[in-house]
Amino acid sequence: MSTQQGAPLIAARDLTKTYGRTGAALRGACVELAAGEILAVTGASGSGKSTLLHCLAGIVTPDEGAVVYGQRRLDQLSEADRTLLRRTDFGVVFQFGQLIPELTALDNAALPLLLAGTSRGQARERADAWLERFGVRGQAELRPGEMSGGQAQRVALARALVTEPKAVFADEPTGALDSLAGEQVMTALVHTAREAGTAVLLVTHDAQTAAYADREVELRDGTVLEVAEAPDLAETAQPTEAPQVTEAGHEG
Amino acid sequence: MRADATLAWALLRGSDRREWWRTSLTALGALLATFLGLAAVTVGTVSGHTQVPYGNGLLDEAGTRMGVVVALLGLLIPVLGFLGQCARLGAVHRDRRLAALRLAGATPAQVRRIAALESGFACLAGAVLALCGFVVLLLAATHTARPPLAWLGYAVVTLGVPAVAVLVSVLALRRVVASPLGWVRRTRPERSTTGVAFTAAGMLAIGGAVAALLIRGSSASAALFPLAFVAALALSGLAAVSVAGASAKLLGKRLATSSRPAVLIAAGRLRMDPWAASRTHASVLLVTVVAVGFMGLWQLTRAQTAAGVILAENADYYLGGYHLTGLGLLLALAISLGALAIGTAESLTTRRRALAAQAAAGVPRSVLRRALLLETALPLAPAVLLAGVGGMGLYATYASMMATVAMPVVLPLLTPLLVYAICLLAAAASLPLLRRAVRPAELRHE
Repeated sequence: MSTQQGAPLIAARDLTKTYGRTGAALRGACVELAAGEILAVTGASGSGKSTLLHCLAGIVTPDEGAVVYGQRRLDQLSEADRTLLRRTDFGVVFQFGQLIPELTALDNAALPLLLAGTSRGQARERADAWLERFGVRGQAELRPGEMSGGQAQRVALARALVTEPKAVFADEPTGALDSLAGEQVMTALVHTAREAGTAVLLVTHDAQTAAYADREVELRDGTVLEVAEAPDLAETAQPTEAPQVTEAGHEG
Repeated sequence: MRADATLAWALLRGSDRREWWRTSLTALGALLATFLGLAAVTVGTVSGHTQVPYGNGLLDEAGTRMGVVVALLGLLIPVLGFLGQCARLGAVHRDRRLAALRLAGATPAQVRRIAALESGFACLAGAVLALCGFVVLLLAATHTARPPLAWLGYAVVTLGVPAVAVLVSVLALRRVVASPLGWVRRTRPERSTTGVAFTAAGMLAIGGAVAALLIRGSSASAALFPLAFVAALALSGLAAVSVAGASAKLLGKRLATSSRPAVLIAAGRLRMDPWAASRTHASVLLVTVVAVGFMGLWQLTRAQTAAGVILAENADYYLGGYHLTGLGLLLALAISLGALAIGTAESLTTRRRALAAQAAAGVPRSVLRRALLLETALPLAPAVLLAGVGGMGLYATYASMMATVAMPVVLPLLTPLLVYAICLLAAAASLPLLRRAVRPAELRHE
């Protein structure tokens, strides 16, 4: 299904997932994510986009089907092993609420490193560099409640990338932002991911956000309906210079 | 572990006002527990016959001192209940934070350790404060020499309270599964028939012991007395606590078809979390069992003194002991009621969005107020009644062995009613929060 050459970084095959009596969220969904690729998963509300992302990121396990990451079956790993993968190989960004309100932006960004046992000084140093890349170094000592939505999302992206993961899973990362802040967040994500060679799986219902991807798949009723090459969109989305984000300003 | 401690400290330092309430009340609970422990060590390390200028001679003899130590340790039960309620403060917020930590790559065990260490820091602050206050008191009471063993005991208690708090938190959270997606669930093991069989066997054993106790003059009664008394006390308390949960479940089902809106809302809440009532009222019910028995014995001793069964020169000794015990019980009741008020306030704060939605939909505030009071009043009534019966049974058993005068029953009968009324007042104390909880702005809270 992937248009990329070689083995995919992550491949999902015939995924089925049902929650309670609400019906199946996924019905035999198949998708592949190549290394360094930016893939948008689009679809209406309830189509199974987020569930697909959760399965691929190892947050939930599918009822049936397989998720293959490298040589490993993600769906067969223990909770502890999947947690370890999320800390080292994957980064996850949600619409909002993933930052810890008690911690400063710098500590939030350093969190995966601190949890892995990296010394506080070293973790903060590395996190500081990532905050700078996302243009929020000026907010390093602020807590999430003191930042704008766009700034908080960029801190979340810094946290997702601080371990230099192989893949970032972003579930509606601009869903709670206005169009300008959303654009700034997406530009920063795409630019940084390309620079680091990180694959991005982007779940969105917004065509403008999906335009940042190399490729787009649409989900309907838990099944992958179509695969759309989007080279023209991807090209226009590729920034040629550093992200246009302000250091201290709120995007509003 | 060092990384976990660093994170726990960072989380504690960054806490907002709501979290600080929890931390401060937890520290207060630890302060009380440490203070009781230090007092028990002080009394326990005095040896032989000593003239102690406090407690009407109650602390002079080793035998009565042991009773005081047991009473001081017994006061730890309501303090633990209080700490348990404090841990529930801000539970929703804490659960979200646990989920955020999981999303960032923390393992379930790591999340539990971080949460437990947060409690540990608060308890350490409370324990150190208690030690400082206690040392000041000791320095003021310079006429009593303290053996080196006492100082060792003080160190053990001061460090032990936070250590136990961490351990208890880890154990309490061991079945809590925090998902990175933000939901937290508590897994429960299947109820085993072995557990039920053990409980039934225990009850039968206690029944046998109590029956043996009633055989006056036999050597068995003297040997079994303390064991049977404590076991029966614990059983009465546990039965009352279980009845609170079971009656909440039953009433929640039965009243679900009521035509009265306040009853209907209260029934819905009881049905949703029936065991919240037993958790909230556990220490109040245990205190009720003891208080009923105490009030009976106090009244009996006064009657015996008036009848001349107890000599006037000994009356001060006995009544002094009762007054000290009564003071301890009042303290226990105050701590338990504090925990009850905290529990009710927390329940109200957690549900503020739902309450605001009900108010916005046109439910009058008076109906919501009545519903909140009914949530406390309905399951508490049968539980307090059972606690009263348990306490009365213990008193009657003891009095039938000791008394040579008619058994007074007025105060023991009034005690459960009084406790019930005070509990409703404690629950009503949180009602002013309802005014804030139903503001339209609360609809924006998740």
